[in-house]
Formats: sequence, structure tokens, C-alpha cells
Amino acid sequence: MKRIDAIRKIMKDIKDEIVISSTGMISRELYAVKNRPRNFYMEGSMGCALGIGLGIAINSKHKVIVISGDAAVLMSLGTLALHKKLNPKNLKHYILDNNCHSSTGGQPTCSDVIDFSKMAPNTVVIKVSKEKGDAPRIPLSPKQIMRRFRNAIRSHRL
Amino acid sequence: MKKYDFIVGIPCSKLKDLTDEIKNYIPCTREDEAMALAVGAFLVGKKPLVFLQNSGLGNITDIITSLLKPYGIKIDLLISLRTNPEHHAFMGKITKRLLKLLEYEDYKLITQ
Repeated sequence: MKRIDAIRKIMKDIKDEIVISSTGMISRELYAVKNRPRNFYMEGSMGCALGIGLGIAINSKHKVIVISGDAAVLMSLGTLALHKKLNPKNLKHYILDNNCHSSTGGQPTCSDVIDFSKMAPNTVVIKVSKEKGDAPRIPLSPKQIMRRFRNAIRSHRL
Repeated sequence: MKKYDFIVGIPCSKLKDLTDEIKNYIPCTREDEAMALAVGAFLVGKKPLVFLQNSGLGNITDIITSLLKPYGIKIDLLISLRTNPEHHAFMGKITKRLLKLLEYEDYKLITQ
């Protein structure tokens, strides 16, 4: 499966969930598939998407979806342990695993030797193909992404 | 401390009095993870505080430069300033300069 098709599948039945997307092509493809104010496109800080999702999940009743890549998750494996420890029922973590850094030329990762889905709850690993994809850059500034996200949450505080 | 409704971080013996007070202490694994949790809390309207040793400043440099700065997110930091023994000396020497270089103003240093 192509990564963008995995994102299409995740977003197909989305309603008012908050979606945190990881650095690079995942955020770009999420923008291309379904741009909405409740998407937080985390364009930098690789490895921090699950941490942000946990911070939202334990501080609110919002349903949270985090979409990560294997390389980003490997950067912060400790956060999987914290996810298991906190175990918020309102967070689901999708890991799109292509066993490489596709944005930077397909350099391999170690994802083939571990099973993320056994390390934390509500974690779904979707194997995806290694192609880089061609989604363009997100035409919103980080401050625009932030402002519209917070406004959307503020108008619907749980 | 009362102005914060979400306190998270990596412990230090110099901050023990603070961390002992926290109900539902969250056992974060790294400083940048604590910062990410604080950002999540901020995004849903909380007022978070992150505590850490100055030795952990290196671990939050990326999230400061590539998330907090570009997105305009401000998180208050409580940093214990350790300058000895030897493995703390260099970071102890450059801590204030590093924060200045990062243009980070929302912090308090605890020296004892």
C-alpha cells in the first residue's frame, strides 16, 4: 500500500477527532488527502508527535489520532513506554512503516527488527511502500496551522 | 507554581521539593518528550510548566527551534543550574548563553 492510501484509509471516517501528523511527507500527504483545522501538521521536531498527542489526550476528552512514520517513532522509543504507562483510551497511534527514511533518499531504519504494536496500546502499524511520494509543501505557515487549530479546539472545548 | 495546571519534566535533586508536590506525576523518558506533552497541554488551553536539569537543554534544542519558535508556542521552563562535578561544568558555564542564543526568555534558573 502507498503511504498516501494508508492516510486516505485513516481519514475516511474521520469526524471531530484531532489529528497530529509527523514530520515530512506524512504531514504533506495528510494535507493533500484531507486538510482541516483540527489537523496539527508538526513539520519539525521529528519524533515528538506522539508526545503532543499524549499531552492532548490526558488533558482533554478529545479523541486524538497520531500519524507517525517508523523513523520518527524510533527516535523517541521511550514515548511508546510512556504511552503504555499512561494508556489514554482517547488516543490512537498509527505508524506508517516503510522501514526507511523515504523523504531523504530511502536510507534504511531498524523498524524491521521490532514490533511497535506490541510496545504500546492502541497502536496500529501499517506497512507501506518505500516511494517518496509527490505531495507539495503545505501552503500554510506554522503560525497559521497553530492559530486555526487552537481556534477550532476553543470553539469546541470538551 | 499555582498558575500552572500541568507540570511535567525530568527530575533533579535540586527540584525535588517541587516534584514531590505534583499529584499524578508523569514519568517522562526525555526532556523533549516532556516538552511535547506540555505543547499538547498548551494546545488544549492548559498552562504548562516543564522542569529539567540544564544538562537536558541539549535534548530540547530541536523542539525549541523547530516547533516552539516557528509555531509561536511559549512554554515556561524551570531549569536547575548544575555546574559541578566536572561533567556538569561546561553546560553550567554556557547555560545562560545557550538560552540567550535560542532567544528563550520564558525560564527560571534554580541555583540551589
